[in-house]
Amino acid sequence: MTQRPLELILARNLMSALSTPAFLVDEGGLLVFYNEAAGMLLGKRFEELGSVGPQEWGSLFGPFDESGEPIPYDDLPLVRAVRAGRPAHAELTLRSTDGTEHDVEVSAFPIQTAHGSQGAIAVFWPSLARSNGAGAA
Amino acid sequence: MKVKLWGTRGSIPAPGPETIRYGGNTSCVGVTLADGSMLALDAGTGIRCLGLAQPDEPARLHILLTHLHLDHIQGLVFFAPAFRPQTEIVIWGPASPEASLRDRIARYISAPLSPVEVRELPCDVSFRHCPESEWEIGSARIRAASVSHRGPTLGYRIDDGGSSLAYIPDHEPALGADLDRLEEDWISGFELARDASLLLHDGQYTDAEYPNHIGWGHSATSHALAFARRTGAERTVLFHHDPLHSDDQLDALGAEARQRWVELGGDPAAIELAAERTEYELPARAASAAATV
Repeated sequence: MTQRPLELILARNLMSALSTPAFLVDEGGLLVFYNEAAGMLLGKRFEELGSVGPQEWGSLFGPFDESGEPIPYDDLPLVRAVRAGRPAHAELTLRSTDGTEHDVEVSAFPIQTAHGSQGAIAVFWPSLARSNGAGAA
Repeated sequence: MKVKLWGTRGSIPAPGPETIRYGGNTSCVGVTLADGSMLALDAGTGIRCLGLAQPDEPARLHILLTHLHLDHIQGLVFFAPAFRPQTEIVIWGPASPEASLRDRIARYISAPLSPVEVRELPCDVSFRHCPESEWEIGSARIRAASVSHRGPTLGYRIDDGGSSLAYIPDHEPALGADLDRLEEDWISGFELARDASLLLHDGQYTDAEYPNHIGWGHSATSHALAFARRTGAERTVLFHHDPLHSDDQLDALGAEARQRWVELGGDPAAIELAAERTEYELPARAASAAATV
């Protein structure tokens, strides 16, 4: 098994200690970790799910836009962050395994190292705009 | 491959009657490869004595720096071969986005911290960033990888003559991680140490001291043992002793480490504390000797 880049190892260690839901993907977009807080949001612990490819984790939790339409894979903040090497932000709705929907804001940023991009981190917050009933600005 | 410890202390030299057995010099390990090539792992104050032991004749020496904290470079300007025009020295180290290896080392080897500048060293010295992939020095294959410490820091693995040496003197793999449960590819430094014939690893703190030093970049005894167990190192030497630890304290720490290793199912002879001037000769490694605990 190939050793993970140190930057991913440290990112995972940090995320493990956070109470904010967070996802970690590698440079190929493979979901390689999410923390306990994210597991509570999604209704499934990472240890139960394991690493999954970008298409699969997108379909598992069905990110939807504010009109309820599935967000195209290429437009997901994590995908944009990995591909473009730029931060990305969005408001979207996640559906947990028990069907509960969560309106969240997602900020994703790439993990850039001396050896290039190694992946990206996405952090989730409850969406204030949506929970207040307001539309996106 | 022959390995000799010239400096085993971390942080700052700690000379004195209370550290005479384990030594007070900071990190430096001499490695003589099967083909006679000479490596120095780090250039703490221990490299001064390594240099004095080198014959005064044309030579090519390689110095592999894990990082540029002072306890790993302080001996460079007191390394006798650096002042011999017939010596070629190649200094390897971690890359940094901030400045070249040469420029970062020159901050130390320059006024007002040093009486000489890099350009004034009589030897033929060059600086190289360690490549991502393996490379060869003499008869050995060298691998460097970033490890968990403060600032750009490498660990090294040297494979030569069927034996392997893993050198990770400054390492905190347990920072935010449970080494007993984590998958091996998520453990910092794992591939460097996997099934190594000899692992020289950070063991700076006792378990009682560690909670006051979380994030300082070093390991507690139990972390070093967990890392050694997971990686299947054949023999482990705890290195980079805290400058506050006297010989008597290190004796007690060594006894405790061996006892814990036995409790983990290991051979107590496979765990020891680094002592200056100790020499190891690494024979060809048996293929099935890994992971006995």
